[in-house]
This record gives sequence, structure tokens and C-alpha cells, in this order.
Amino acid sequence: MRRRSFVKFSALASASILVPDFLKAFGNHYRELPGNGRTLVVIQLSGGNDGLNCVVPYRNDLYYKARPTLGLKREELHVLNDETGLHENLESLADLFHDGKLGILHGVGYPNPNRSHFRSTDIWQAACGENENATSGWIGRYLDAQCEGSCPRPHAAVEIDDTLSLALKGNKMKGLAFRNPQTLQQFFQNPVLRNTAESYRHSHGNPAAEYLNKTLAETYESAGYIYDHSKIFRSKRLYPQHEFGQHLKTIAELIASGSETRVYYISLSGFDTHAFQLGQQSRILKVYSEAMKSFCADLADANRFHETVILTFSEFGRRVEQNASKGTDHGAANNVFIAGGNLARSGLLNPLPDLGKLDQGDLVHSVDFRQVYATLLVKWLQADASEILNGNYPLLNFI
Amino acid sequence: MVIGLHLIVVTGQKKIQHLFLRAGFGETPAGILALRKFTLPELVSQLFSSSEKFRDLNYLPFPLNESQERKGASPFQVLKMILKSRQDMEELNSEWLFKMTYTPAVLREKLTFFWHNHFATSVPFAYLMQVQNNTLRRLALGPFGDLLHAIAKDPAMLLYLNNQQNKKDHPNENFAREVMELFTLGIGHYTEQDIREAARAFTGWTVNARGEYEFQKEHHDDGIKEFLGRKGNFNGEDILNILLEEKQTARFLVSKIYREYVNPTVPKERLETLSLAYYNSGYHTGELLRSIFNSDWFYDEENIGVKICSPVELIVRYKKLVDLQFKKNKTLVNLQYALGQVLFFPPNVAGWKGGTQWIDSTSLLVRLSLARYLVQGIPIGLKSRPAFEAPPDESHAETLMPATSDWGPLTNFFKDKGRLTESLPEHFIQCDPQDMNENGFAYPGAETTDEKDLIRSIVNILSMPQFQLI
Repeated sequence: MRRRSFVKFSALASASILVPDFLKAFGNHYRELPGNGRTLVVIQLSGGNDGLNCVVPYRNDLYYKARPTLGLKREELHVLNDETGLHENLESLADLFHDGKLGILHGVGYPNPNRSHFRSTDIWQAACGENENATSGWIGRYLDAQCEGSCPRPHAAVEIDDTLSLALKGNKMKGLAFRNPQTLQQFFQNPVLRNTAESYRHSHGNPAAEYLNKTLAETYESAGYIYDHSKIFRSKRLYPQHEFGQHLKTIAELIASGSETRVYYISLSGFDTHAFQLGQQSRILKVYSEAMKSFCADLADANRFHETVILTFSEFGRRVEQNASKGTDHGAANNVFIAGGNLARSGLLNPLPDLGKLDQGDLVHSVDFRQVYATLLVKWLQADASEILNGNYPLLNFI
Repeated sequence: MVIGLHLIVVTGQKKIQHLFLRAGFGETPAGILALRKFTLPELVSQLFSSSEKFRDLNYLPFPLNESQERKGASPFQVLKMILKSRQDMEELNSEWLFKMTYTPAVLREKLTFFWHNHFATSVPFAYLMQVQNNTLRRLALGPFGDLLHAIAKDPAMLLYLNNQQNKKDHPNENFAREVMELFTLGIGHYTEQDIREAARAFTGWTVNARGEYEFQKEHHDDGIKEFLGRKGNFNGEDILNILLEEKQTARFLVSKIYREYVNPTVPKERLETLSLAYYNSGYHTGELLRSIFNSDWFYDEENIGVKICSPVELIVRYKKLVDLQFKKNKTLVNLQYALGQVLFFPPNVAGWKGGTQWIDSTSLLVRLSLARYLVQGIPIGLKSRPAFEAPPDESHAETLMPATSDWGPLTNFFKDKGRLTESLPEHFIQCDPQDMNENGFAYPGAETTDEKDLIRSIVNILSMPQFQLI
């Protein structure tokens, strides 16, 4: 008889018996994170969203002068007050606004703004200065700061994507990225991955091997945790067919299922509207708004909306003046949206940007984006912001 | 048998694999077998002699025609180049990867890759990136001073670090800062005042509309500068020479080379010995590497299989082992992106940090699943990112990764009589078997002819975390 000794791989039949023990031994290792079950969701609008056409100063002549064809008329807007209106496709945000569940912060940015997508995205994700070389992200460093003896598990911060963004990479700890809980779990159909993960034991030998084995074991455990917590609550609401909608639905299901994840990260791309901006931006804002509508409703149904804050930002705003291609070029300061069931302050949180005082044609920032992060870290996640952000930034009062 | 697991004798095969994984990008089991008739010193000599001859990366033609060449590119042409650059860069990326895989000058190619990370640059002019890449390759093995002087006048680097804005009236300190912090001394060995003075010396170093280095005298500050304790009306070249006079520069470079070529941890005494020799040799990088590869300690167990290979190294290993190919260059770039390293796109001027920073849960799963997915023809769905201008309704299906692989040469090698033994993993895995978990790997015996079993076995080995270690 031919010698075919793959025998041990068939031992994976017994693997299922091992799982509970393994999880038990491994799981006790970790601490619960502070924050009273609160969740932060960060939505990145990639490409540089034109915030000026989202929150429109419809009484301002300078706005219409700079944007003869791109300027939105009052009758197209969801009027917020006697000078401001929201883009017509931001219907759900208008509802949240009138409900006291949305805060809009104008003029958020940083000194010496960089107009490169890559660089400015790095600056926002790393929460670093414009001259620093970013090697870790602010949410990753939030995870690092939670390490006390032992670290939180990777699923403490989750990104719905194929790759993990810089924002979720700390120096010691990194978050977990996946497209959906099923595909994450499917990686472990490979018996080598599963057996290796299940037989993990700490070793003082080769540190690189130890790091890989430990990461794999933690990933396996987190994959199982996430998979289990994706099935408890099933959303019955309609989300946009666009993958952003499906991904936001995944987040809603995880939150409603009681996953211990503290931070969720998700991006929506397509905001780089150099040409023919009106149609393009309208389409994508509609996706964003419709997904947000179902998302907030799901959270409210599950009684979790008051424990959730949703931050929406973009790496920069756009030039105030429209360009020759009926679009806008890369700008600087921009507005951010903060939604949640339990905001201390909502509505328009600060004065509209001054269109008469521009820097190289761009809005000047009045709020440092790290103040927003600091507020979320301290008042929402109960973390030490000065350590994570490497500096002290005055806190804001939306929480 | 009793000595067994705890006193591992490093075999000749393992040492040769080690040498080629570090000096180059690894070799196939058949390639290693052919090398076994030579001694290690002979192999080191061969590595150097086969790197004497080499070819430029010659993929992209000069983008300007004759009439433009005189006047230089118009702003419109510059814009056109920028718009086309990403696609050009994908092709250049694939060309370089091809070269890494198949060139006989592996030592030079690996070192070029090292310098690409040291002098990390990314500008949206693919042609200029090609020019820089050829400079790195040409000067890789010679004196570091030659390379430093060339890179300081390299158009891509000058543009990347904004030196075209460095003028007498309002100096830009970016290049001056990075040349000390990242290219020579390392942080903590100079003052802010040194940066300001050095920036003055580099004023007027710029790039003209033909994409060449140009010295603009009218923008140069030729006053007296005080720099690192010296005083004179230094120009840029003087500053670079002063930096080379500093022994700290040798220490900084040797430490980085050691971490890349030998071990992430550098023993202090060895660092001092090597740095002094490097300094005294006039920073001859080739000689430094030769002395490393000819040392006994390079082949110590503690230095073998202790490095997490970079994404590009991993992809080249796959190309060598099973002829990994992509139907579209874009999918190759997407895979690099998912693994965290896209050639010609370092994250910033500090380059890729490497080591454990390559690994997060997600990138590890992609690394470990690659072999299985290739064999089973499962496309790995990888979105190209960052996608700033992607159409919002981009369908996911288009981003699936169509890749091909050929496992024939590998299985034929092992099917050949006598080659297939219990030691199959030793052809692929370098680290101490103690560190392999005791999962009970077992392999088909010498008489196996079943190709499927063999492939399955190899795939299992390539799926082990230890395969990621070189």
C-alpha cells in the first residue's frame, strides 16, 4: 500500500471538540475595555468630499459667485435654519438634525493643509502633524493604550474592508479588517491555518515566529467571535445595494448583536469630483444618506443608538471656487458630521466658515481635527487622549 | 536522535538557502541543489561576480520628443504625464518584479530594493522613478558617498522633498532635514540649526522642465554656514561630504544593513567593528556585504529564519517557485497593496518600517492563504485602494484576482528518485523546527508518484506561518 500520511490533517475532525477549551483558555487572557459598552463608528469619505455643497450657506452671495453653475439653490435644499441647508440627497441627515441627533462642525482641518489625497489621508488617520512621518494610526494607538498586562483582542477595532487602514494600526496592537464575517471565517477552512491557530502556545524562541503564531491565534479567535456575533441580530431593513450599504449593515448587525468591538471603521470612495461634480456627488451622497438612515434605525430598534456615536469626515474639503470642468479641486478645511442618539449638543455646533477669508482659495480651519478625536477618546471611550494624540487638544462639547 | 531537537546542526542546504534568501530573493529547490557542489566562500564570490554585469530598467521611453526636449515640457504635458503615471507605474512595478525574479545579478537587485527603501521616494512621474531606480542599481554596490551625491541630485528625490522650492529668499528645509534624519546620521545627531544651515547650502538645487537636475546660481545662498561644528561657505556637495566624514553615518547605515541582511537585533560590539571597517573602506557597501556573507556568525542558527519577509520578497519567492503570474498588472499592484508594500509607493520618505509592522490579522491571512488559493484557482478579491476617484458603483467581481501558477517544475523535482523524504519542509522553511508547532506534519514518502498529494503537501508547508520567515 502506498504510504500516504496526511493522517494528522484528518485530525481536524476532532478540532471542533477542541474549540471550546481553546477559546476558554485564550479568552480569559483579555480585559474588558472601559467605555460602558459605547461604540464609535468612523466613516471616511475618500477623495475629498465637497462639504460646501453638503452644508450650503444659501444666503451667501460669495458662495454663488464662486460657484455660478455648481451652487445649490435654496429650493433644492433641506433647510436647517435661515442661512443653511443640507444637500437634497442628505435627507436622513436632515431628519437626524431636526431630531437633535446630528451635530455639524464647520471648518475642521489642520495647519499648513496638504492637498495630496495620500498625504492628507495619512495625516487624518495617523492624527499626526503635517511634517511627521506617520507610522501608526490614532485608533491603533487607542488600542495600544488599553494594553495593561494584556492587550485587547483585534476585534476591539474593526474595519470593513480587504485591508487594514493606517488608522487602525498601533505600535503594539492592530485592529481587524474583513469584508464580511463569513469570508473572514472561511480563511480558517484551511486546516493548516486552523490547526496552527488552535495549537498555539506562547514560546520564547524565535520572536518573529512567535509574533506570527500569536497573531494567527488571535485572528482565529476574533474571526470566531465576529462570526458568532454577526448572526444574533439580523437586519430586516433595506440598505443601498452599493457595497457601502452592505458593509454598514454588517456593522449594524455586529453592534446590535452586542459585539464588544469599540470602534468600527468604514470608507466610502468616489468624492474626488474634479469634473461634472453635481451628478457624481449627488449619487454618492444618496448612498451615504440612505445607508445612514437604515443604520440609525437598526441601532434604535436594538436600543443601541444612544450608545453609539458616528463620525463622518473626509481628508479635505474642496476649493471654494469651481473649476473650468464643472468640478472643484482639492481644498483644505471641511465640515464633519457627528451623529448619535445621545449627543450633549447637536445642530450647527460652530459658525459657518468665512467665505471672504480664504487661504489660497481654500477655507481656513477653525477647529483642529485632533480636537474632535480627543473629545471622542476622552468623553466617549474614556481613554487618555494626550498619550494617544501626543499632545493636548481642547475638548469640544458635542458629547 | 537524542541530540535531536535541541542542538540543531545547520545543514549545508540550509546555509545556502539562507545566503540566497538574504543576498537575493531565494532560489528554487532545484536551484539550491545545483549550488550544493560549491563551498560557501565560492558561492559568495559567485554572487558578486554575477552582479558585475547588469541591465537598466528600460521600460519607459523618455517622455519628451525632440522639440520638447529643447524647451522642456509644457504645463499641459506635465499634467498629461501625471495622469498617465499611475498606469505607467503599474507597468514599471511589474517589470521590476520580473527583473527581481529572473536576473542573474540577484545581489545587486536585492540591494537596489534595499536602497529604494532607504532613499524612499514617490512622485507621479513614472519615468523619473525609472531614472532613480537605475541610479540606485548602478551605484548599489559601490561607495555609499557616490550614491548619496547622485541621489541628492536625483530629479525624483528633489521633487519629492520639495527642493525646487528651496531658494535663497525662502529656504525649504525638507531635503536638508531628511538627508540627515533618514539618509545619513539618524535622528538625534544634529540640531535644528544644522538643518537650517544645510538647507541654505542646498538652495538653487532644482529640476528643470526636461526633468533633469539643474543648479540655479541666482537662487543659491553662497554665504558662510555653520554646520556640525564646521564653518565655511559650504555648498550642497560640501554638506554631503561633511556628513560622510561623520562616523555616525557609517554606524547608522551598518545598523540598517545589518537589520535587513542579518538580524532585526544588532549586537553592539559587532556594530562597532563593522561600522569602523565600513568607514575605513570609504563606505564600500559591496565589501561590507562580502564580509558579512563570509563571516561564520552570518550562518549561526540565531540569524536564520528570524526575519518576516517583505511582501515583495514573498511575491518574488512565489514567482520563482511556481511562476506566479497576473493577467493584469493592476491585480499584482492590488496584491502588493493588500500585503502593505507597493513598489515605487513607499508610505512616506521614511520608507517601509518592516518587521512586525508588515503583519496585521488581515495581511497575515492573505499571506497564509496565497498557496491554497493559487492551487485551487480561488481568486482573492482585493479592491484597489486607496480609491479616491473610483466610481461608486464599481462591481466587486472586477477586483477579483486572476492569477496563474505552474506547480509542475516543483513537483517534478521532488518526484525525481530519492529526493522526496521526510525533509520536504526543509526546502521551504528556514526557522528552527522547534518553532514549528507540533501539528504532526507528515509527508508522502520517496516512492510517491501522486502529484496531487505532493502539491497538497507543499501547499500545506507554504501555508505555515514559518514560510513567511527568512
